[in-house]
Amino acid sequence: MGYEMTLLKLAIKSSLNRKASVLLTLCTIAISVMLLLSIERVRQDAKSSFSNTISGTDLIVGARTGDIQLLLSSVFRIGHTNNAVSWQSYLDIKDRKGVAWTIPISLGDSHKGHAVLGTDDAYFTHYRYGKKQHLAFQQGRAFHNGQEVVLGSDVASKLHYHIGQQIVISHGMGNTSFHHHDDNPMTIVGILAPTGTPVDKTLHIPLIAVDEMHQQSHKQPILIGNKPQKTNDHDHDHDHDHDHDHDHDHDHDQHDTHHDEHGHQQFTLDSQPGDLIGAPKQITAFLMGFDSPLYTLQVRRNINMYKAEPLLAIMPGITLRELWEMLDIVEKILLLFSIVVVLVSLLGMLTTLLATLSQRRRELAILRSVGARPIHIFALMSSEAILITFMGCLAGCMLFYGLLITANPLLQSQFGISLTIDWLSNYELMLLGAIMAAGTLMGLLPAARAYFYSLADGMSIKI
Amino acid sequence: MLTITDLTHTWPGQSQPTLNIKALHIDKGERVFLYGPSGCGKSTLLGLLAGINMLQSGQVKILNTDLATLSHANRDRFRADHIGTIFQSFNLLPYLNPLENVTLGCEFSKQRHKRLADKNTDVKTEATRLLNALGINESVLSQDVSKLSIGQQQRVAAARAFIGEPELIIADEPTSSLDADNRQAFIETLFSQAKGYQASILFVSHDQSLASLFDRQISLSDINGV
Ligand SMILES: Nc1ncnc2c1ncn2[C@@H]1O[C@H](COP(=O)(O)OP(=O)(O)OP(=O)(O)O)[C@@H](O)[C@H]1O
Ligand SMILES: [Mg+2]
Repeated sequence: MGYEMTLLKLAIKSSLNRKASVLLTLCTIAISVMLLLSIERVRQDAKSSFSNTISGTDLIVGARTGDIQLLLSSVFRIGHTNNAVSWQSYLDIKDRKGVAWTIPISLGDSHKGHAVLGTDDAYFTHYRYGKKQHLAFQQGRAFHNGQEVVLGSDVASKLHYHIGQQIVISHGMGNTSFHHHDDNPMTIVGILAPTGTPVDKTLHIPLIAVDEMHQQSHKQPILIGNKPQKTNDHDHDHDHDHDHDHDHDHDHDQHDTHHDEHGHQQFTLDSQPGDLIGAPKQITAFLMGFDSPLYTLQVRRNINMYKAEPLLAIMPGITLRELWEMLDIVEKILLLFSIVVVLVSLLGMLTTLLATLSQRRRELAILRSVGARPIHIFALMSSEAILITFMGCLAGCMLFYGLLITANPLLQSQFGISLTIDWLSNYELMLLGAIMAAGTLMGLLPAARAYFYSLADGMSIKI
Repeated sequence: MLTITDLTHTWPGQSQPTLNIKALHIDKGERVFLYGPSGCGKSTLLGLLAGINMLQSGQVKILNTDLATLSHANRDRFRADHIGTIFQSFNLLPYLNPLENVTLGCEFSKQRHKRLADKNTDVKTEATRLLNALGINESVLSQDVSKLSIGQQQRVAAARAFIGEPELIIADEPTSSLDADNRQAFIETLFSQAKGYQASILFVSHDQSLASLFDRQISLSDINGV
């Protein structure tokens, strides 16, 4: 066709000449694009963080409630939990044929807003998440006795806790709990690697510790968050490193030598192995793995008809899917709305382009007189639409990333969904491609009209 | 330079032909004044000569090229290369400055570029030279065209028609929005530019007072057999 550069230059200058209306159109497109991308990113990330929360567990057993309720309380720490599976039942079911492993969990306590989970060492060997990944230690090791605690990675980084520190764990889920179990300080012996699941926000203690602190008489709090013999400036050093450097192993080594040099008492991970379970009466729930799926179904049926107490066994994969399907409608409606918003913004562009077209017939006749072909007129008009849509998409992406960066901490803290601040996924690029295609298609309409105007008008220009 | 034989033109939807011209000839360098009552088909004729309106029957030869033998694309290219156009009013693109409006005359023509190159000049220098020659002040060259007076706008349009030395200049009532003094001055500047390279001018107007300035006066009603 030739003259692409000339036409592009004309398209840009003509668009700039109608700044106000073009800018307005561009803004509506940008905002709609941002909306669509944000909704899709949240949807995708929520979905993946959801389905990655637990894997490799065949059954979750708890007191009889709803399937989804049990899943939410045992895995997502959402909703009310009370210990309602007797230890006796647990031991009974644990010994059934085909059971490969079990993890008892006891929830209900909290530490500065983070859930405290009582369990045994099976948790660290059998709990799996994501693509059947095992839990890994970023630092330290599993607990060996009733005075030791293992932190999720978020707990450690948010509260600036480190290995060797002693903390106090309170009873109840509230942040401002009345009775702190102050006479029961626990030593941090391990920090788990980040998983992107509620495990990160959990403190793990042995079952015996849960039991012990509940048995103690309620006393007035004495002091909170005390640390082993350390000077203040040293603490500052340490906190600083935790903020900015996640190479904890390395960190720790450095601090060890630091301790030695200054002759401080050094914390070691050596401790006396002790009883981890004690004599609990009840637990909240337990996770089970089986040797074969056949056993899973059989034991599940047995548990659901358990005589001694009303129990419920769920298959987490299925319940997760049910939960997601419940949200699916909402999710689809959101997607539909955001697509409609994008379409409306593109229709807005079409309206303004068509409205200005009749005023621009003169412009088209001038271009014809200097030798522009009708096809050039067509290209000029459609490239304006493409240009506006493209700029709208670009601005929309910028707004999207702006929103992502500002909203991420909020979503993370409020809903536990961490958004991936990443380059656009193929799916998102495809969405943008579809918007570009729709914008281009819409641009064809004024372009076609301009084409026929330029053929029909001839030399006489009507204003 | 321009020869018309047996040209007829009927607009779609009309029962009578608008034009029916047996013969018309314009020489190289000739300045022709074409007049006639409103609606008699002057603009239609110019559109046919420029190759914007489709030729229905008869022959139009410009520079020994039969327009009917050209494809659509080549007719548009022929216009870009050989014909400069000035309209009655609003000749300029509002989003280009005066200088850019003049250089627009070369944008769709390789041949106009080539002619300028042969004269050892480039589009911008030539546009500036033409604008100066037509009395457009240097200071308004990059101004908003809407700030120019009507007279200035018409002279910018004339500069666009002349840039790259097209052989035929077609002007469709370019002076009707000018006052009497400016009309004559405008036509004289057109003539001085055309003289430089022997361009032919076909000037349409119904203002008979200007007719005497031209080499030849043609009444369309006289040659039009409708
Ligand atoms: N684009 C067009 N489509 C259809 N009919 C047209 C078109 N342009 C002109 N006509 C018709 O052709 C006839 C001649 O119009 P034209 O514009 O050529 O007259 P004119 O001599 O230039 O008039 P004026 O002096 O008012 O400019 C008119 O009857 C008009 O209705
Ligand atoms: Mg006319």
